[in-house]
Amino acid sequence: MRWLRTLLIALLLTLTPALASANLVVVVSADSQVQSLSYDDVVNIFMGRLSTLPGGEPVVPVDYMPLRASFYKALVNRELADINAWWARLVFSGRGSPPRKSEGFDETIELISHNPGVLGYLDKSSVDPRVRVVYEFGGRS
Amino acid sequence: MTPLRTLLRVLRTRITARATITVVGVVGVLGVLFLGAALGIQSRDEAKRQGQRLEELMSTVERATQIACFINDTQLAQEVVEGLLGNRIVRDVRIIASDTTVLAAGGAGGQGGDTAVSRDIKSPFDASKSICRIFMVPDQTQIDHLVADASRFLSAALVLQLLGIGLCVILVTVKFVTRPIAGLSRKLGELEAETGQKLDVPRGNHHDEIGRLVLSVNAMIDRLMQSLTEERRLRQLHAMEERRYSLLFDNVEAGIFEIDHQGRLVSANAAFQRLFELESIDRGQQVPMLSERVRGLAVPVPMNSNPRTQLELHLSARGADERWVAISLSWLKEDHLQGVVHDITARKRAAEQAEELATTDPLTGYGNRLGFERELSAASDSGSERAILLVDFDHFKQINDTYGHHVGDEALIEMARRLHRLLGAGDYLARLGGDEFVMLLSSRTHRDALDAMLVSLRKACETPVLTIENTHVYMGVSVGIAVLGRDACEGSRALQLADKAMYAAKRAGRNTWRYYDDT
Repeated sequence: MRWLRTLLIALLLTLTPALASANLVVVVSADSQVQSLSYDDVVNIFMGRLSTLPGGEPVVPVDYMPLRASFYKALVNRELADINAWWARLVFSGRGSPPRKSEGFDETIELISHNPGVLGYLDKSSVDPRVRVVYEFGGRS
Repeated sequence: MTPLRTLLRVLRTRITARATITVVGVVGVLGVLFLGAALGIQSRDEAKRQGQRLEELMSTVERATQIACFINDTQLAQEVVEGLLGNRIVRDVRIIASDTTVLAAGGAGGQGGDTAVSRDIKSPFDASKSICRIFMVPDQTQIDHLVADASRFLSAALVLQLLGIGLCVILVTVKFVTRPIAGLSRKLGELEAETGQKLDVPRGNHHDEIGRLVLSVNAMIDRLMQSLTEERRLRQLHAMEERRYSLLFDNVEAGIFEIDHQGRLVSANAAFQRLFELESIDRGQQVPMLSERVRGLAVPVPMNSNPRTQLELHLSARGADERWVAISLSWLKEDHLQGVVHDITARKRAAEQAEELATTDPLTGYGNRLGFERELSAASDSGSERAILLVDFDHFKQINDTYGHHVGDEALIEMARRLHRLLGAGDYLARLGGDEFVMLLSSRTHRDALDAMLVSLRKACETPVLTIENTHVYMGVSVGIAVLGRDACEGSRALQLADKAMYAAKRAGRNTWRYYDDT
């Protein structure tokens, strides 16, 4: 029955991102003045419409690559190919640039916690005191 | 001549022109109606098509607009606007963000977006969220231009079609109608119908209307020929009748003439000329004796009530040339008469002779009783005075008995001669019978004159009537006298009175006379 257990684990691993989407949270540095953001704010910032926070501070979105697909699926219900195409068009017409890419979790959390103007996203379970959750999926109405 | 009148003349004289004008006119009117409808439909279709094109254009640029609106990229928005304006049918484009700021605008401007097509642009990430609106105003003049182009093509096609139809009608009419008819008309003109020539049916028209027309014309020529022949025959017949009548008219014994109510001769035949002894027959001439009688006739009313008037004319004086004619006149119309004249001289003479024979005493050659009665009756009718002398010979019976009837007759004849010698103009002598004579005198009726006459009679009686074997025979007369119109008005009564007077004379001793009014 070992092969069955192995299959179940593999299946679970495969499904993880989808399952995890419900647990994604948008975070800023704990030092940031921003307490929370609306869904629109999150979309506008990540999709390149806004480059400032509602308070007026410049904001830089960061893509945490392992969760990227889950995040955009959760945010605007798009596949990564669509998102890439969107940014390709924007970059082509000279309008801004896509969010910075960050691969590792430590690197990402460092980037967020040390720069109050950076907006990122993490799995809810990996949130620690260095960052503040400003938007949580599932609370959207 | 004005062009219009030329056209009218052509229309009047050319079937082809009329047919062409009519067909082209009808097709033209229908064509214009259809063209109008087609243009209306096309214009509507074109507007719809342009609307669809605008919609398509908007769909094409929707995504770019979405991006431009989402990221507030005025430059991209402007690119979209310019791109749209590159279409000829787009006049104005505006992209207005949901917060009413104009993201981009372009075009000729002008009146507002009353005809504008607009579309809500949703957020690329949230279909329920509108982020801007794009307005597009179609270029109506350009659309009209397109419609006009299409219309021009349709119109040109219609005109070409009309020209084609007109040409076809001209060709067909000329080929199938005008030319055959013109040919027939020319041949008909050259035809000598009286010789019985006929028309030939044009080739190819044997079974159609033109063929039937030719057959009808030929049938008409046949009928014409028949009636011509018939007329010729009738004319000959008529000429014959005329000649027959003319011969009759000229050679008949009776005079035939026509005369008007004024007595003017209209026509007459040779016999008429002969009977009336005319130099010539001239229309309008007055005919002696006849014309005045005709003028005296009353026109009968109604015309047909009195168809005939009989006349007798005594044309010339008594003698060898004496001529009587009988004329029978009939009214032809109110002022015209026709008459027939017969010479009745012979009949008249025979009648006169018969009359004379009937009224003549065969012995003496003077009047008899019948003659006297007629004279007396005429005299009493005339009303003038006449002396009636009734004469009776004395002792005549003795002469008769002594010498025989023959001698008696001789004596009567001699006495009658003596009496006759006493007569004047208009006097009449008759033997009533036996030895009784009567004298009807108009020349003298007065007693003096009568006395003188009777004295000479008595004197004459002193001469012997006869001498037989040297014996002188004397005869006396007794005369009774009555005057008609004085003693009596009626003839027979006057004669009775004269008779009475005569017997009075006899009673008085014979050889004397007595007047009635003395008895």
